[in-house]
Amino acid sequence: MFARTVRPAVNVARVAQQQSQGMATLREIEQRLKSVRNIEKITKSMKVVASTKLTRAERAMREAKKYGAANNELFKHTETEGAEEQPKILYVGISSDGGLCGGIHSSITRAIKKEMATNPGTIAVVGDKPKAQLARFAPQAIKVSFNSVGKDVPTFAEASAIADEIVKNGGEWDEIKIVSNKYLSAISYESGVTSVISAKALQAAAGFQAYEMEEDVSKDLAEFALANAVYTALVEGHAAEISARRTAMENASNNANDMMASLQLQYNRGRQAVITNELIDIITGASAL
Amino acid sequence: MSSTWREFMSWNKYTQVASRALRQALTETDRVAAEKRAAIGVRYQLWENGQGGEQNYVVPPAKETTPGTPPV
Repeated sequence: MFARTVRPAVNVARVAQQQSQGMATLREIEQRLKSVRNIEKITKSMKVVASTKLTRAERAMREAKKYGAANNELFKHTETEGAEEQPKILYVGISSDGGLCGGIHSSITRAIKKEMATNPGTIAVVGDKPKAQLARFAPQAIKVSFNSVGKDVPTFAEASAIADEIVKNGGEWDEIKIVSNKYLSAISYESGVTSVISAKALQAAAGFQAYEMEEDVSKDLAEFALANAVYTALVEGHAAEISARRTAMENASNNANDMMASLQLQYNRGRQAVITNELIDIITGASAL
Repeated sequence: MSSTWREFMSWNKYTQVASRALRQALTETDRVAAEKRAAIGVRYQLWENGQGGEQNYVVPPAKETTPGTPPV
């Protein structure tokens, strides 16, 4: 009997607290639902844009790969004897400034870190995002950096300008290693290291000695080979980045849809709980009269 | 006999200058198409002692002076 008189008062207090809690979280859930809905719209449109850009980037990449193949042919025919001392290596990391593309930039930084652990050298970097990561890792090793590349399909003129700048201000080096992302398929990419022939190695190569040539030719050829290799890496990296962005935005849209579904259920349950509590209020109030 | 341009520029720069001259000599439609293929917007930045210097355009963008366009 004592308990029965106390219970309604305690009940009302508890119900009031639950009701206030329920109302507050209901508003929050509504806001979250609205923001997730907006995010889903944005990621979906970004995915569509990336898909359309991908066809153009893939076409450019197919053409550019021929430049790279010619380069590699040249490199294959010039063997280098065992180096007496450590050759001075310049690593050229090729990526871009844009974000929201998955692990594109980190894969370049990771590859450079791995290479630097065994063969330290200097660094030239293309792209703001890998530049920021490398500046934390080895700021003293960076010689020159580039940005504003990668918004559109890269042109050979840009690659030539980058190669020219590297030759002018890249410091001293015996060998150049280009670190870039290789396009494996529309959903996968992988970082890879390509070596570029240097003028000294060209001159020393057996095949070259057979022809009588001025010294300048090997220097010109080495610079052209560098521009070629940079161009191939830029275009392939561009295609890989666009495909990664498409995948990332697709995953983001799917996650956003899942979140919306679960939030919606939570919202409905919360709404029904509020209604039930109000009913309990009314009924207990009525029964207490 | 070494060419005079070697004193001033690398081979890449030399071909850039030569191809720019060729592009400007083309007829109108071909020239427009070629200029699109040769757009350079890249900027570079020299680093010393772990500090980046100021960023410079490789090819400075042409300044647009159109006094008649409204702000919106």
